[in-house]
Amino acid sequence: MYEAVHARPDGASTVSRLARTASEYGFSGLVVRNHGDSRHDADLDRVRDRYDIDIVNGVEVRADDPSRASGYVGNYRPERTVVCVHGGSNRMNRFAVEQSAVDVLAHPMDGGDFNHVLAKEAARNGVRVEFSLARVLRVEGGRRVQAIQDLRKLRELVDHYDVPFVVTGDARSHLHLRAPRELRAVGEAVGFTGEQIDAGLAEWGRLADRNRDRQSDAFVEPGVRRGEYEGSGLDDGSGD
Amino acid sequence: MKHLPKHLRPRWRYLAVGIESWPDTAVGRSEFQRHLWYAAQNLFGDAASADLDLTVIGFELDDGCGYAIVRTRRDEVDRARAAVACLDGIDGQELGLRVRGVSGTVRACEEKYLGADPEAPDQRTVTFEGGERTAVVRDGRYDVTVDSAFAGATELDFE
Repeated sequence: MYEAVHARPDGASTVSRLARTASEYGFSGLVVRNHGDSRHDADLDRVRDRYDIDIVNGVEVRADDPSRASGYVGNYRPERTVVCVHGGSNRMNRFAVEQSAVDVLAHPMDGGDFNHVLAKEAARNGVRVEFSLARVLRVEGGRRVQAIQDLRKLRELVDHYDVPFVVTGDARSHLHLRAPRELRAVGEAVGFTGEQIDAGLAEWGRLADRNRDRQSDAFVEPGVRRGEYEGSGLDDGSGD
Repeated sequence: MKHLPKHLRPRWRYLAVGIESWPDTAVGRSEFQRHLWYAAQNLFGDAASADLDLTVIGFELDDGCGYAIVRTRRDEVDRARAAVACLDGIDGQELGLRVRGVSGTVRACEEKYLGADPEAPDQRTVTFEGGERTAVVRDGRYDVTVDSAFAGATELDFE
């Protein structure tokens, strides 16, 4: 189970405090995805060692127009393990699902909309769509009702077109974090199945593993790896 | 009134809820109870929140650290958990809640999940984000005052 968070200066808590709390809550990993224009200054390796939790170096690209976002995605892709795009406007949603270099389209329904065309594109390019429970957990009244309606619409599209997805509580401080079982219970209350929530939380971990593997030196392209036989010659003369 | 025969009494479960907050948060049992009811009512509506029957049995919150024991019906634990998770704050004071465990009796709940009293907090002056600031420190957790708000940090940020 992984959770994705925004640390200081995006949020109120430092990476280490979020990591400590997440570790206590039973998460096995934490994706730190500060917006590109508000970087944290934490040493992720030290945090990882101290609190016994996997810390994934991520980023959430935020831009007003797709051409600028495209540049940011290109810049961050080689250095960050998980690249998200700050969704929520129709143009940015459209941009994100069309880029296979993008890992996650974050909160697409928060101000924007999603439809069958985008769902098909996202499935084709392997862009994960985020179900953010932030507004279910931390907003009241009509805006919360809307958030739950949005989640339902998105869920129906994701189900129908088999779009890969992730789930978060989108915490911005250690007080926003909720344990995996709590997220599961809340998800079930707003129409998800428990399995969907678990799968969405675990998907971050799978994504991080895949991208780390791709960034490793041994990786050439999907299915092709540089193995230990390199440089040993084609035939070493030993027969079979 | 004469109380019910044993087989007709409701079966209860007790949720041990760990609470974290910023150090200046002042919340009492009755406020917590009221907002827990609101949280259940907002999420599930009147009918289901009556079924949940959430009652705060024990409550303590001092200097940003505490616990609550919440009673619910035996077959409603999952929904009670969701209601607790949706209680994000009281009058603008943020709360971090986590269900540490569920027991069949108050005593088991206290003994298993709400062990030792937290150590007393300590006021210190620290250097954080390029300035001298005061921090409330407890067990390696630092709540630093930054421009009339708090920032959450740990000892790792000051090593």
